[in-house]
Amino acid sequence: MINQIIYWVLVIGFQVLVLNHLDLSSYIYPQVFVTLLLTLPLHLKKTYQLLIGFGLGLVMDLFIYSPGIHMSACLWFVVIRMLILNRQDLKEHANNKLEYSIRTAGFTPFIYTTLILIIFYHFYILWIEGIGNINIEYITKTGLSSSLLSLTIIGVFQALKLNKYP
Amino acid sequence: MQRLIAFIEYNFHIILFVILQTICGFLVFSLNPYQQAIFSKASLGVTSTINKLSSDVYSYLNLKSQNTLLQNQISKQFKESFPQSLHYLNDTFSIVDTSMHHLFDAIPAHVVFNTAHKVNNVFIINKGLDHGIKKNMGVISSQGIAGVVLSSNQNYSAVMSLLNTNMKITPHINGQEYFTEMIWDNSKFNCLTINGVNKLEQINLGDVVSTGNSSLLFPKGIPIGHISKINDTPKSQYFELKLETATNFRNLEYVFVIINNEYLGLNDLLLND
Repeated sequence: MINQIIYWVLVIGFQVLVLNHLDLSSYIYPQVFVTLLLTLPLHLKKTYQLLIGFGLGLVMDLFIYSPGIHMSACLWFVVIRMLILNRQDLKEHANNKLEYSIRTAGFTPFIYTTLILIIFYHFYILWIEGIGNINIEYITKTGLSSSLLSLTIIGVFQALKLNKYP
Repeated sequence: MQRLIAFIEYNFHIILFVILQTICGFLVFSLNPYQQAIFSKASLGVTSTINKLSSDVYSYLNLKSQNTLLQNQISKQFKESFPQSLHYLNDTFSIVDTSMHHLFDAIPAHVVFNTAHKVNNVFIINKGLDHGIKKNMGVISSQGIAGVVLSSNQNYSAVMSLLNTNMKITPHINGQEYFTEMIWDNSKFNCLTINGVNKLEQINLGDVVSTGNSSLLFPKGIPIGHISKINDTPKSQYFELKLETATNFRNLEYVFVIINNEYLGLNDLLLND
């Protein structure tokens, strides 16, 4: 449990202190903290998942002062994750109270789920931030490049976890 | 009842999701300035379009009689009020002061949405930023004062009606300006209350109340209404005057937005003082 809390604090800190200040390009705006929602334990009740998503979004909104934007995106993220995970056979892992990861879901389903959710999250954030004045080119470039960087970092996280708990 | 409880229990996460998303939506559109502006613009645009549509139909049915009435009233009122100063410039006419300097312009506008039954009434006109209309400009009807512009988008403006508790205009009665409160207390339709007029003053029923020199938004002498009732409370040294508005807000269709060309300069002078 303590390890889990430390892991959450480190990921949120990494997002808030490092990634939010990353100045690589105006098109790169990675949101890696959603890996925490992606890898939530499989046995967790839907209500709790929603509340955790809401709380995590609230924390991110407080740090970057964008009231409601990350909260809303996190809620959609959790709901879409529920819908995708319903199509995957994870009952045994849920009974064993495991978290969602490459190890539990398998390589292809995990990559497929992560890809959809991460791309959705980035595009949703960009859409709601620019609502009413959408620049398709900017959103496409930023969404794709940020998603790609986020996916790479999440892939590194997963690889580190696999090495730690083979 | 048990079925309902079971349904709520089974779908609790969906209900929770909707509630939380509603909170998020509220936060996004109320605390983020950009999203707030977009929402206000969109809602004003949508409601104005719908209101304009219904208003168009209504106007079409009343077009002939309204136009005749309007023309007669405009002609009569402005010629009476400003005999040497009325200049017609296409659809805009100007009121000039004695030095022939254009102080006020009046832009005709059509009311596309109007409320008169609320505590704080607002109406929307079909002229906006594109027509030179901005916040804090006075609005008059052919009968008298109608309100003050609250906000504008490109093509529409929201106007705070005289029947609004936030409206404050200094009354001018029998050639004298009274620096007192004239309020809409929502007690009676088309009826305002003036407190603080000393009983030593000569006030009679039917006296016309108009704008004075203290307002930068309206020219002097635009009617606000007439005294319809004088309440003489024995314990007070002040009258409570009831004023029937000159403008009939239930039937408000055509108005003029008053542009004070020297507003910024005059306002700066006043603020410096």
